[in-house]
Amino acid sequence: MTSPITAGDKLPEWKLPITPTLVVSTAIATRDFQDVHHDRDIAQAAGSKDIFVNILTSTALCERYVTDWAGPDVQIRGIAIRLGAPAYPYDTFTFSGEVTEVDDGIATIKVVGAVSLGDHVIGTVKVAAA
Amino acid sequence: MSAPVETQGLVPSDVHEHVLAEAERIKGWGEAAERVARDEVNQPTINNWLEAMGLDNPRFTAGEAPPSMAQVWTMYGLGGKPSEDDPLHAMMRVLTDAGFTAVLGTNCEQSYDRYLAVGERVRVTTALDSVVGPKATGMGVGYFVTSRNTWYVDHPDGRSERVATMLFRVLKFIPKASEEQA
Repeated sequence: MTSPITAGDKLPEWKLPITPTLVVSTAIATRDFQDVHHDRDIAQAAGSKDIFVNILTSTALCERYVTDWAGPDVQIRGIAIRLGAPAYPYDTFTFSGEVTEVDDGIATIKVVGAVSLGDHVIGTVKVAAA
Repeated sequence: MSAPVETQGLVPSDVHEHVLAEAERIKGWGEAAERVARDEVNQPTINNWLEAMGLDNPRFTAGEAPPSMAQVWTMYGLGGKPSEDDPLHAMMRVLTDAGFTAVLGTNCEQSYDRYLAVGERVRVTTALDSVVGPKATGMGVGYFVTSRNTWYVDHPDGRSERVATMLFRVLKFIPKASEEQA
């Protein structure tokens, strides 16, 4: 991205297949060893369909999506997420986003990461609008 | 002034009063359960995270850490457990003991004062921010519990610098299935 961030800018859609490897590798890379993120038997015994993506990864994927669009020099000030439908293996994330506001040097980007069951993550990412 | 207890009949008023009284007591602990990250911010841990997330940014192999890794540095790790004086853990226990056995993360709001640098070691505190309820949700009747984490870097001159904060909200609830069984 070369032009300044402007309200109304839309981020290109991004799809990410959710594999068991993605769920497990991201959970461990975020040092989250809760069994529901790597052990399907335990996850199912607890009432889940399968293992599922952990919250630190939902936040991290919002960081990646905005960084991939804005470029490596982007300065992220905050990521606020609301969690919805669980993200299970063999589903696919579809991320979409839009700049909703640029005020006082801070751009606010609304990010939605949807799965087949609905919106998994609804995020608000604030970045320096240099 | 004694205001009527607003539970809309969702939970017995004595349970509600107990939950709110415990919430006030635990809020009074302020920033508690301080702990220091096991490791300094380090490149191998950053590299593992970059590979897993599929993020490719030259800054993160040149001395800076991804901002949303702030929480990663102070995770408990395999087999780690919160201490007894951890405000979130204490409030969870109060609600579990009152029958609100299930938990679901609903919100996570992180703010970054700056990106961390390789070699820094963070410490984190936990405070209970609020307990709101009871609410009837799609999952069941429960309380929304919000905690606040604050990460600091301590400098050689004695200065403590806040580097990141996080509000984390969970719904602690009675699962609908168990309500029907009861």
